[in-house]
Amino acid sequence: MIDLWGVAIVSLVLTMIVGIYGVTARKDLVKKLISLTILGDSANAFVVALGYRINGKPPILPSGESVATFAKTAVDPLPQALVITAVVIGMAINVLLAFAIIQLRRVEA
Amino acid sequence: MNPIPLAVLTPIAFAFTLPLIGKLSKSVAKAYAVLGTFLTMLFTFEVFKSSEGGPLTYTFGGWRAPIGIVYEVDTMSAFLGLVTSTLLFLIAIYSLEYIKSGEVWYFTLYLGLEAGLIGVLYTGDLFNLFVMLEVTSVAAYALVMFNRDPQSLRAGLKYAFIGAIGTTLYFIAMGLLYRTYGTLNMAQLAEIVHSSDVVNASLAILLLATWAFLIKAAIFPNHFWLPDAHPAAPSPISAVLSGLVVNVGIYSIARLYFTLYSGLPEVKSLGTLLIILGAISAFLGAIMMNVHSDIKRIIAYSTIMHMGYLSMALGIGSSLALASAVFHTFNHAIAKSLLFLSAGIMIQIGGSRDLRDLAGIGRTNPLAMFSFAVAALSLAGIPPLNVFSSKVMLFTAFLDWNPALAGVLVVTSIMSLVAYVKMMRVLWLGCGKKESVGMPVMTGVVVAISIAVIVLGLVGPWIFKGIALPAVAQGWESYVAGGLGG
Repeated sequence: MIDLWGVAIVSLVLTMIVGIYGVTARKDLVKKLISLTILGDSANAFVVALGYRINGKPPILPSGESVATFAKTAVDPLPQALVITAVVIGMAINVLLAFAIIQLRRVEA
Repeated sequence: MNPIPLAVLTPIAFAFTLPLIGKLSKSVAKAYAVLGTFLTMLFTFEVFKSSEGGPLTYTFGGWRAPIGIVYEVDTMSAFLGLVTSTLLFLIAIYSLEYIKSGEVWYFTLYLGLEAGLIGVLYTGDLFNLFVMLEVTSVAAYALVMFNRDPQSLRAGLKYAFIGAIGTTLYFIAMGLLYRTYGTLNMAQLAEIVHSSDVVNASLAILLLATWAFLIKAAIFPNHFWLPDAHPAAPSPISAVLSGLVVNVGIYSIARLYFTLYSGLPEVKSLGTLLIILGAISAFLGAIMMNVHSDIKRIIAYSTIMHMGYLSMALGIGSSLALASAVFHTFNHAIAKSLLFLSAGIMIQIGGSRDLRDLAGIGRTNPLAMFSFAVAALSLAGIPPLNVFSSKVMLFTAFLDWNPALAGVLVVTSIMSLVAYVKMMRVLWLGCGKKESVGMPVMTGVVVAISIAVIVLGLVGPWIFKGIALPAVAQGWESYVAGGLGG
């Protein structure tokens, strides 16, 4: 049987490499921006995957359960919190880059 | 009262309220922005004074150390934070006269940059370091593009793309680090690393993080964005980028290697990499300084050269090398800012960055020329100016490790001196008629900093003994005790 979890991790790493290749090798600025979003998104998915537990519970404490047993069975929520921060920051950078590319088209046209 | 939150939150608060005040009056907004940098300077001085006895900590929102976000300031961060905020205050005054349009947004980004820089230096949490790194970077990208002409937009885009790759790599490293050690708190991480054998993923984490910081510090082969980005920015921003923002990469590597992972075999092998890349950067910077005729580009290559020295010192990693790296960061920041600011005055008058168009401009602007000469000779390592004293300490540290590295330092210094003398000769003796334009504020700032350069050169040995050596001697044990003990 194929280890699907391993396949997912390897494909995420490969996607990140594709993203880095796109940013560095492509000439077109819009394609560079698209590659950068591919890199950022696959990095985010990778970090979420690092905190994932197969067949784990969602990280919301049900009433009546002890915290110790819950912590042993639930998915780790901290990587998700990190990723939501990184998503927000990534958006700010993408907006700035998109603005600069549009502005460059305007002043050079 | 703990001054850390004041030092960190003041620039953020001023940055967010500035656009509103700018709607009412531009001149009030400018004064308000300078007030913000002034208050930040006072608070960072307070932090510097209070952190003398040991690391000073502050927990945001009252969550205890390993759980919440902690700011932990030891002498190294406090010292660099004080230098950063003082220079930013002086450069803000210089900007009042330099920036003619779009001042409100300029100062908003400027205060954002200050918030990011202070945050990077003070934070005790690795993920907060990522956030603050991004705050610094976004403001820096936008400020490089501030003129919005094709050249600065292209330079800013190049900087932003490579910088975004770097911070994404650091983010991946943080994910792996959390997976391996289960913490992002620096003090707790240092404790775990030093008391257990969990090192299987450390090399990957360190390599990814080091690469990200090498991009920020512009060390070969990640230097290529700097000679485009730094000259394209407005002159005060070039001074901030070259004097202060590149230090972030060096500081973070120092924190990572000598607080979190000190003494591990991985750090030793990566140290060799840092030495090799640093030596290449030093040579590359020194050679390119003699090739170009764009005055700001020459100064930008000099930054690559000095970052190469710092990278070599971090690679050696002895306590003398580290102390001289901290001391050199301090001296380089002041002298390099001064060089960009005084060149900025001449560029403003001459209307060009090309050395040939600026020929003879120094004769009609003797004060700007004087400051330029002080800064250039200081960076080349002429006694008794300030960079000389830190170059001597770097020289001794390099000599202890390998005489060849000391040779690199001397040869590249001589090459840079040749480039500076050529520049000064053209600016002072070249034939060309340029009228003098009165710029009292800008001239006042550069003269004040050049006096500081001369005075710091004279008191340099005491600063080294009194601040740099004790800062390094604190070590990771006191950082752990300070971060988790409270």
